[in-house]
Amino acid sequence: MSAAISWDPYNADLAKDPYPTYKRLREESPLYYNAEHDFYAISRFADVESTLRDKDLFSSAHGDILEFIKARSVMPDSVFIHQDPPKHTAYRALMQRIITPKRMHAVEQDIRKLCARSLDPLIGGDRLDFIANLGAEMPMRAVSMLLGIPEKDQEAIRQSVDDRIRTEAGKPIDIAAQQQLQQEALSGFDEYIAWREKNPSDDMMTELLQSEFKDPQGVTRKLTREEISNIVNVVAGAGNETTNRLIGWMGKTLSQHPDQRREVARNLALVPQTVEEVLRFEPPGPFVAREVMRDIELHGRKVPKGAVMLMLVAAANRDESRFVNGDSFNIHREARPHMTFGQGIHVCIGAPLARLEGRVALEEILKRFPDWEVDLDNAVLSSTSTVRGWDSLPAWIGSRPKNATVSIPKPAAAEAAPAPAAASGEVTLEGTWNVVVKGPTGPQPATLVLEKSGDTYTGSQSGQGSTTPIADFKLTGNKVYWVNHVTKPMKIKVEFTGELNGNVLSGKAKAGFMGSYPFTATKA
Amino acid sequence: MPKILFIEHNGKEHLVDAEDGKSVMQTAVENMVPGIVGDCGGACSCATCHGYVDPAWQDKIPPKGETEEMMLDGAMNVEPNSRLTCQILMKAELDGLVVRLPASQF
Repeated sequence: MSAAISWDPYNADLAKDPYPTYKRLREESPLYYNAEHDFYAISRFADVESTLRDKDLFSSAHGDILEFIKARSVMPDSVFIHQDPPKHTAYRALMQRIITPKRMHAVEQDIRKLCARSLDPLIGGDRLDFIANLGAEMPMRAVSMLLGIPEKDQEAIRQSVDDRIRTEAGKPIDIAAQQQLQQEALSGFDEYIAWREKNPSDDMMTELLQSEFKDPQGVTRKLTREEISNIVNVVAGAGNETTNRLIGWMGKTLSQHPDQRREVARNLALVPQTVEEVLRFEPPGPFVAREVMRDIELHGRKVPKGAVMLMLVAAANRDESRFVNGDSFNIHREARPHMTFGQGIHVCIGAPLARLEGRVALEEILKRFPDWEVDLDNAVLSSTSTVRGWDSLPAWIGSRPKNATVSIPKPAAAEAAPAPAAASGEVTLEGTWNVVVKGPTGPQPATLVLEKSGDTYTGSQSGQGSTTPIADFKLTGNKVYWVNHVTKPMKIKVEFTGELNGNVLSGKAKAGFMGSYPFTATKA
Repeated sequence: MPKILFIEHNGKEHLVDAEDGKSVMQTAVENMVPGIVGDCGGACSCATCHGYVDPAWQDKIPPKGETEEMMLDGAMNVEPNSRLTCQILMKAELDGLVVRLPASQF
C-alpha cells in the first residue's frame, strides 16, 4: 500500500513535475478531495470533458478559479468568463463576432514582424530568454495591436492584468489586493477608450465601441465604457499570460527533445502539430474550477452542492486511456483534441490567436535558431491558481562556453576568475549607480543611490518618475541583494539579486510575479 | 448504422460508421479523422469543426441556426456549403453523407 496521494495546487515543489502525481490521481483517486483547501479534483479525460460540458451542474457564476469560487465572488455581467447563461451567452456572442479566426489571421504578418523585432537583436549572440526576449513581449504587443492601444500605454495594462491573475507562490490569491491593483492600472486605460471613441479605426476597440448586442435583459444596445473596460481586461489578461507560458513551454520541451526539434526545423509544415502537442503536453492553464450546483455522486463518493470542483486539464491531457503513452512528447501522435482550451460554452475564445501566435513564434525561432539548449539552472518556474510556466527561461543558442557545465549566464572567463573582493574596497558600493532593467517592453532605466553607515547599506532608487527607499540591502562576498518597492506605474515589489564583477553590478530583477528580468548597473 | 465519408483537404478519404444521434463532429473525433478539432465539444462556440457538406446532401440536413451563422461568419475559407459539423446530428437518412474538410481549422 503506497502513501496516500496529496495534491496541493499551492505546493511549489510539486509544481516542478506534477505529472507523476497526476498519474496516481487518475489511477488511484479519480475523485480526489483536498481537506486543507476544501476542494474536489478530477483528473481523467472523460470526467474533465463531461464536467466542462455540463454547464448546468458545474457553474461559472462565481468564476473559474478556486479562490474566487470559495469567496463566492461576483463580477459584473460583462466579465463573461465569470458567468453562466444567459448572462454569459449575451456577452460571449458579441465577443465571438469580434474575436474571429478571420480577424486573427489578418494580422499574421504583423505578428511575424513582432517576433522579428524581439528575435533579430539576438542573432549572433549566445543566449536567448524565451520569456524576457519573446514571451513577455510579443503576445502583449499583439493583443494591444488588435485593440489599437498605443504602445506607450501597453506596459501598464499588461502589468495590471498579469498581476491580477497571478498568485504568490504557495499562497491563495488576495482578491481585494488584486482588484485594487487593477483599478490603479486601468484608470489610464479609460482615457484610451475615450480617445478611441473620438478616433475610430479598424481595430477591435472601435468594434467594441460600435457593435450592438442583445444584453442579458433582452435590450439591444451598445456596450458601456465600463463593460468595454471589463471585457478588454479579461481578454487582454488571458491573451498575454497564457501565450507567454506557451512560448516558454515550446522552448523547454523542444530543448529536451532535440531530435523532434531538428525534424520540425527541417520541415516547418510540422509546426502546427508541434504546437498542439506542446499545448497537450504542458498546458499553460493546468486546471480550471467550477462550483457544483447539486449533490452528486462520482466514483462512489458524494460531492455536496456548493463544493468547488477542480478539473485537472494537465492530468486529463496525459490520460493513457485517450493518448497512447500520454507522458511522452510525440509530435506525430494520434490527432486527437486535447483539453488545454477547455470544452463547452466557456472554451477559450482566444484559441485561434494563441495557435497563430504559437505557430508564428515557433517558425520565427526555428528560422533563426534551429538549435538551443535551455539553461534550467538559471530558469525560474512559477505556478499559480491559474497558470504554470516559466518566468524566465534562458537558453544557449550559440557557442556554449566549453566549461559552462553549470550554466552561468556570463562569459566563462569571469566564472573562472576568483570573485572580486568587492567589500574589501576595490569598488565602493556607495554612490550613484545607473541601473538598467531589461524589461518586457525594453530597457527601463533607474538610478540607485547607496549610502553606507557602519556595515549597513541604505539608499533610494528612482525610476518612472518616482523615488522610493530601498530595503533589505545585503552584501555577501560579491553577491548583492536589495528590494525596491516601486509605486509607478503600479505598486509592486522588485527584488534585485546580482553580483559585483569589477565595476559592473548585474543579475536579475524580480518584479513581483510579473517575472524576472536581467539588470545591469554601472557607477555613474 | 449510417456511414459518413470524410475527405481531407489532401484528398485522403475516411469512411466511418456513425451512431444515430451523434453529431458529425463527434463521429469524426471519435474515429480520429484528422482535420476536425471540435475544441468546444459541440457547444457551437469554437468553429473548429468546419466542413463542406456535399451539395447533394444540402436538402437533407437541417438549416444553419443563428449561432452557427455567426460562428461561420468569422471562420476561414467559408463557402456556401460550409457547416459546423457539430450542428448536424446523424440519422439513417444521412447514410453516405459526404463531408470535405478545409485545409486548416485555425
